[in-house]
Amino acid sequence: MKDEFAPKIVGFLCNWCTYAAADLAGTSKLKMPPSLAVIRVMCSSRVDPVLVMRAFLRGADGVLVAGCHPGDCHYEKGNYYARRRFALLKSVIETLGLDSERLQLSWIGASEGYRFQQVVTEFTDKIKKLGQNPMQKKTSL
Amino acid sequence: MEEKIGVYVCECGPNIADNVDIDRVMKTISSLPDVDVVERHKLLCSENGKKFLKESIQKHGLTRIVVAACSPKQHEVTFMKVCEEAGINPYFFQLTNIREQCAWIITDKELATERAIRYIRAALRRIPFHKALVKKEIETNPDVLVIGGGIAGMEASLLLASGDRKIHLVEKTDVLGGKVKELDKLLPRMESSLDIISQRIQEVKQSEDIKLYTNSEVEEVLGFLGNFVVKVKTGENKELELRVGAIVVATGFSMLNLKQLPRYGYGQYDNVYTALEFERMNIDGKILRKDGKPPKSIGIIHCVGREERGYCSGVCCMYCLKFANYIKSKLPDANVTEFYQDLSIPGKARQKFYEDTKAKGVNFIRSNEVEVMDKVIKYKTEEGEEKTSSVDMVILAPAIEPSGDTAKLAEMLRISQGDGGFFQEEHPKLAPVSTSMEGIFIAGCSQGPKNIPESIVQAQAVAGRILSSLIPGKKLEPEIKTSEISEALCIGCQTCLEVCTYGAIYFDEMKRVSVVNEVLCRGCGNCVGSCPSGAASVKHSTTTQLHQEVVEALR
Amino acid sequence: MDNRNILVIGAGVAGINASLSLADSGRKVYLVEQTSYTGGTVIKFEKVFSNLECATCMVAPKQQELLTKENIELFTITEVLKVEGSLGNFVVKVKKRARYVDLKACIGCSACFEPCPVSVKNEFEEGLSERKAIYIPCPGALPNVPAIDTENCVRFNGKDCKLCEEACMFEAIDFEQKDEEIELKVGAIVVATGFSSLDPKEIPKYGYRKFSDVYSALEFERMFASNGPTTGEIKLRNGESPKSVAIVHCVGREEKGYCSTICCMNSLKFVHYLKEKLPDVKISEFCSDLCIPGKSYEKFYEQTKTMGVDIIRFDDIAVKEEEKGMSVKYKIDDKGGSLPVDMVILSPALEPRKDASKLAKILGISQDEHGFFAEKHSEIASVETSREGIFIVGCAQDPKDIQDSVAQSEAAVGKILSLGG
Repeated sequence: MKDEFAPKIVGFLCNWCTYAAADLAGTSKLKMPPSLAVIRVMCSSRVDPVLVMRAFLRGADGVLVAGCHPGDCHYEKGNYYARRRFALLKSVIETLGLDSERLQLSWIGASEGYRFQQVVTEFTDKIKKLGQNPMQKKTSL
Repeated sequence: MEEKIGVYVCECGPNIADNVDIDRVMKTISSLPDVDVVERHKLLCSENGKKFLKESIQKHGLTRIVVAACSPKQHEVTFMKVCEEAGINPYFFQLTNIREQCAWIITDKELATERAIRYIRAALRRIPFHKALVKKEIETNPDVLVIGGGIAGMEASLLLASGDRKIHLVEKTDVLGGKVKELDKLLPRMESSLDIISQRIQEVKQSEDIKLYTNSEVEEVLGFLGNFVVKVKTGENKELELRVGAIVVATGFSMLNLKQLPRYGYGQYDNVYTALEFERMNIDGKILRKDGKPPKSIGIIHCVGREERGYCSGVCCMYCLKFANYIKSKLPDANVTEFYQDLSIPGKARQKFYEDTKAKGVNFIRSNEVEVMDKVIKYKTEEGEEKTSSVDMVILAPAIEPSGDTAKLAEMLRISQGDGGFFQEEHPKLAPVSTSMEGIFIAGCSQGPKNIPESIVQAQAVAGRILSSLIPGKKLEPEIKTSEISEALCIGCQTCLEVCTYGAIYFDEMKRVSVVNEVLCRGCGNCVGSCPSGAASVKHSTTTQLHQEVVEALR
Repeated sequence: MDNRNILVIGAGVAGINASLSLADSGRKVYLVEQTSYTGGTVIKFEKVFSNLECATCMVAPKQQELLTKENIELFTITEVLKVEGSLGNFVVKVKKRARYVDLKACIGCSACFEPCPVSVKNEFEEGLSERKAIYIPCPGALPNVPAIDTENCVRFNGKDCKLCEEACMFEAIDFEQKDEEIELKVGAIVVATGFSSLDPKEIPKYGYRKFSDVYSALEFERMFASNGPTTGEIKLRNGESPKSVAIVHCVGREEKGYCSTICCMNSLKFVHYLKEKLPDVKISEFCSDLCIPGKSYEKFYEQTKTMGVDIIRFDDIAVKEEEKGMSVKYKIDDKGGSLPVDMVILSPALEPRKDASKLAKILGISQDEHGFFAEKHSEIASVETSREGIFIVGCAQDPKDIQDSVAQSEAAVGKILSLGG
């Protein structure tokens, strides 16, 4: 019995802003699809391209990197670097034969519980439409 | 030593228990091969719960602990303390969030239980890779270098100086007092500036704990918070090496060179003066034209250079009003007209001063386009009409700029220049007097144009920051979860150096590798994100640890 | 100095900052806060000028640090009753009112809100939404523990209602809690009690509370706030989005006799708020003088202008009701005009809090002619008062922006720690 495709999305959330927003969404009991596995990092700039690549190679249907809005970074400039790396990564993902839309960078501030819910819900829908990661069956690491 | 891993599932009353099948979680986790103990508790963060946790850890001789409960932002510190009390390194602990990010957001109980199990397994996957991290302590030097002997530099020096903290005050010129000693009277009570400034200068000179170096300049700054090594070239052409724990930059300001703006007539026509020149005239006693006669009609022009510099210098409106008062007290019959763009007179006391000044018969003309010609000021009204005003003296209020050696100092101190070229504060709201270089502080007009009370407050604030963080005899405890760079893997590209906001990475020329300064590192991980060889890593957030969480998420 | 403990009155940004610095230096700090939450006025903002940083993101780490710092004892719903003694030896009596909820037992699940039968206007939300008698002011408030408003709670008004207690799974609600009078011995006191906003109702020509869509700055902040009563939707009372907005500066400037320093920048910030949600909205800013001093503010002004806003100067201004919507009637020199608008946002003067006089008397410090606490010397001693050992910081002393309030709080720390002991 094959149920509806339940995407597996890995989310790297920055400790100061997005993780706080995720917590706020929780405290406000905002419901979300169960697709996102949250991994806490100190800053979105911590997310190195290899980590993201490995996630896709292991079969992640989507990867979300989320941090503070530009200008709000707890470490002043970290998220600007994240933005740059992300732009580069998008094109690298394509070379793996993956739709670059599977990788998303979002800015979510600590008070934006609703926005977090919105981002997770919309990203899940997008991934559902894109379908399962074609690498799922091909590689085993 | 054999590892013994324990998992504790908190029900959080009904909050987790209602939405997650705790029985199933317990059963599944218990069946995993590497887990020695699995327990549940109604409320682990309660006094009861913490006691239970500690006793259980000790009873079972556990070495690594996973707690599945609420957000780490809430109780990570709580449970880390319990681990410590139970005799385990607090970093052999992982708190996984099955409340805010699981029980409370997933409607379907089945799916929420699945997610909870996955999160716990993710924690179990990563915890064998946790390393014991310990508190670091570094020796520090409580002494302080203050660059600049103006009002802010002196204020900071006086507050900081004490028996167990020496202050080295380096002043470029041969006298203390900066720009304030060039003023006649101070607002708003028109008190003598000299009275106030000379008292301060006396105190500084007489202080046993302040070493004053006039005609001296800072040549080189090495080191970091608590451990700076500074080279100073003194007036006697000696080179001194000073060891300090903190540096205060109070280098003040310059005024815009009016020759850059020929439309204001400075240097072209007689009787056109800058603000400081007019102050000098008042200190000397009389307001006189070049021909020795008192002026009959004076134009005071605000906002000189505002457009070119792109900011409002904030202090000029008030001192221009002060000038009107100087004039009216010495030459009651003189005609005084203030040409301004916006009247910047914020705060509880300034509007009254403006109104009192206006009541003395001072004229105010708002204009965005003002030009000074021989004995006349040409201006455009807001409707675009061109008008003139006859004057026999003009006083200009030029923009306040960063002082001339700001760029040189910024490079030497590895701090940045921000808006207007002034030194950049660490955070424009919450950290106005510190910089991204820990241990280096800025105060007064070196940070941005401001008036005397604001400069003094910033100097006092710097003293507050230093007195509360650099305490004689007390060691500093820097961030524990810092970055580290593997010597073996580092290829010496120095990309990490470039991206580090805090200047916490230095290049070892001998070994040709980058090294993290653990005192300055704040653990953000930007270096890791930029490292092409995987040499950089953040403690307690290593790539292996994070990857284990990814593996579980995608299993 | 004999006693090394410090009392900080007010847990807004300035008070929190002073407390953290003093605690870092090893002092024991008693932080007394009148309301049930920390963060003061700044946490009501969605963003701050001029970098438009998220206010919560900025303050929350400090609030969190405050709650976990060992040598800071936070007293909420507490006021200062009496202050005796002198520098190094103050004896302070405070009244800690009962929260009726155990701070340690409560986990912040909010199960107690739903069953409460009472609904009143939420002051934190500037009356734009309602709250229960057991409440937290807004989502994300810290400490995340509710308080019972005994004035409106039916139980405290005679009825036998225990619905909240019954709903609580952690036995955190305790009706038996009593107000306590506590004596604190401290060496110095920092007064960081902040400000109040002038109620524009006091100046009828602005139509506040008369016409339906005239809002005060703080009301508009809450409307735009992502954790506020409309989760950030900007709507008129009739549910429609405004097409034209007037932002009026200097409300109360003439009456109060001073410029409140921050309103110009705050009003320019509102342009960003409006354009974010309603890109086509027409905005007019009415001001008498643009007060934007400092290295960064004019840049913000120039940038804001490019977003499409008319800056209109005035000497005289009033808001009038029209058949549909309102109009702003303004005069400058001899000229004038009338601008039709759907929504008016007023930037009212910053004034001393209503209890400033009471507190001044208790502290034995003076107030200036406007009611702000009086500094010892406006130029060289702006954080000191005439009573040695008592310091004033932030807007309690004079209207100012966050940067200057924080600088003053650090300055007070500098003065206190330099006294040695």
